[in-house]
Amino acid sequence: MLAVEAHNVTKVFGSIRALDGLSFSVKQGEVFGLIGPNGAGKTTALRIVSTLLLPTSGTVKVFERDVVRDAADVRKIISYLPEEAGAYRYLSGWEYLEFMARFHTSDKSEARKMVMEAAEISGLGERLKDKTKTYSKGMKRRLLVARALMPKPKLAILDEPTSGLDVLHSYHVREIIKSYVKRHGVTVLVSSHNMLEVEYLCDKVALINRGRLVAEGAPQELKEKYGCTNLEEVFAKVVTFA
Amino acid sequence: MLKGFGNFLIKELKVLARDPKILLGMIIVPLAIFPAMGAVMGYAVQTAQEQAVKATLIVVNNDGGNWSRSFIDFLKGLNAMGVGFNLTVHIENNIEPLTSEKVLELLSKYNTTQIIEIPKGFSENATAHFSNPQIRACLRFYGVLRGTSVFESVGSSVVDALVNQFNRAVAPDVLFSEKATVIKGEIKYKVDPSMVSNLLTSQSIALPVTILIVVMSAVQIAATSVAMEKEEKTLETLLTLPIDRLAILWGKLSSSIIIAAVGALAFMAGYNYMLSSVTAGIPENLKLDLAALGLVPSTFGYLLLGLSLFVTLLSALALAVIISAFAEDIRSAQSFVGYIYPFVFIPLLALIYLDINTLPFALRLVFYAIPFSHPAIASKAVIMGDYWTVIYGIIYVFAFTVVVMYAASRLFATEKILTAKLKFKGLKRKEKLAEEF
Repeated sequence: MLAVEAHNVTKVFGSIRALDGLSFSVKQGEVFGLIGPNGAGKTTALRIVSTLLLPTSGTVKVFERDVVRDAADVRKIISYLPEEAGAYRYLSGWEYLEFMARFHTSDKSEARKMVMEAAEISGLGERLKDKTKTYSKGMKRRLLVARALMPKPKLAILDEPTSGLDVLHSYHVREIIKSYVKRHGVTVLVSSHNMLEVEYLCDKVALINRGRLVAEGAPQELKEKYGCTNLEEVFAKVVTFA
Repeated sequence: MLKGFGNFLIKELKVLARDPKILLGMIIVPLAIFPAMGAVMGYAVQTAQEQAVKATLIVVNNDGGNWSRSFIDFLKGLNAMGVGFNLTVHIENNIEPLTSEKVLELLSKYNTTQIIEIPKGFSENATAHFSNPQIRACLRFYGVLRGTSVFESVGSSVVDALVNQFNRAVAPDVLFSEKATVIKGEIKYKVDPSMVSNLLTSQSIALPVTILIVVMSAVQIAATSVAMEKEEKTLETLLTLPIDRLAILWGKLSSSIIIAAVGALAFMAGYNYMLSSVTAGIPENLKLDLAALGLVPSTFGYLLLGLSLFVTLLSALALAVIISAFAEDIRSAQSFVGYIYPFVFIPLLALIYLDINTLPFALRLVFYAIPFSHPAIASKAVIMGDYWTVIYGIIYVFAFTVVVMYAASRLFATEKILTAKLKFKGLKRKEKLAEEF
């Protein structure tokens, strides 16, 4: 079964065409990367998959549920981490996780289990008792990644999960995603600017530019196809020629 | 002089003066509101004075002596004296005793609100005054309390003016007046209508001021809480959770109501303490017992008033949520809800001074159309036992709230909650564009 099936998706904001006939598919259990320059349409694509925006035309299905018609059902099986997500300043990290867990289950013990797992994933330890306004950017991002993964969604949608983080925090976040996906078989749709990250995390990538798909395949396949040593070169080559 | 101060000051002034939100909130709104308030109050004074000097007076002459005839001639001659009076005087003779039923019958017969009784012995006492100044002639005044505007007392003060004019023309202190108030069809003797209306007014200021503070603070809380979700980037996450989006809307409204209610209780407690401190200094014999006069709301009245306040609060919050949904940050949201404020405080403050029933039909309609007027209207209507006005008001504000809530729920159900934003220039709503792709 396909986890995501986007077919000929367009999204128009006023006079600007953010997505222009974008099609891609993500297999179940796959880590799929969307990469492209600024303004390519990555965030718009992820927002449509996560039911935040409606496509102007085309269809998107998540585990065979239509993101427009069955939006409420889609929300039950996805978890979305926006690029610039925040946490509530006056809640502690622990309270924030509890608050979020209660939306996924009404069973108190299950919610508690979810929060315990998120606490472990985040690696924040005792700092979870502190208000999130005292967290550094990296700590906040680790908390939010843990929040996104804790309900064990069928599809995790992560928009620039390590954006703005230092090397150590980026490393930690990547490790969280990699190990969690392996352990629970979660499908991940991720966008990133960081080609090393994409190469490390993703089974398959789609390069998009100006709202269109310009290349798609496993990182190794793409490198061979374009005769490049890393994805960064592939990216530069494809975007320049597109 | 501090180095760089002048340069910095000029930059600050440029930035502040060019910010349309500041221009609107600090300069344009006050410039518009205070003249509007002045016009309303000016109108109120003018209406009250016109009504007073154009009054229709019923004079019941139970004396029949020379002095009573002199007094009636004096009244009839006032219009010609050019001192501003335009009285219509109806004379009734020998209605004794002037019972409550008779007073009400006469008021209804001539469709007026004021009666002056010249009691038996009036002429005898007036004559005796010249040999013994301790003896004075008494006039009895009956005034109907119709509403609770500040200017309600103007009618009663006209009688004082008449007595003074007569005394000045004849002899100092020859006349004095005894006043009675007709409240809800019952005559309360030795109760001056102006004292009652002044007391009611001083007490009825507390409620509109409380409503004003509660509504405005609740509106700020609601606006801030929606904008904060956007500013702190938590809204996107919330909207992808498996929850009913209306739960987010209701959660915001309910928490704002609870916080506002706690604030209102604290405010009321403080304000009550202040009022009781003020009245504690008044001697007992000068105090009017409003409860004994039937001028405090019944339990049902209080319930209706509470309901009126609640639906009004809800309508203001729903409006604030909708408006703030178009803001991208807290500061913009707070500026946007500033548009609601004139509609909150103009009617509330104006209705302290005005009795809505005495306004022209068009102006009355304007006040009724503004949902935030209704608690102030209700606070006066429940005192006068006019429950239907309150009930119609509640129904209207409830219907208004349902419409606004429906719009708010539509906004929350679509991507507009994320993409809509208000541009000050031309107040055009635009979608977020390429910067967020």
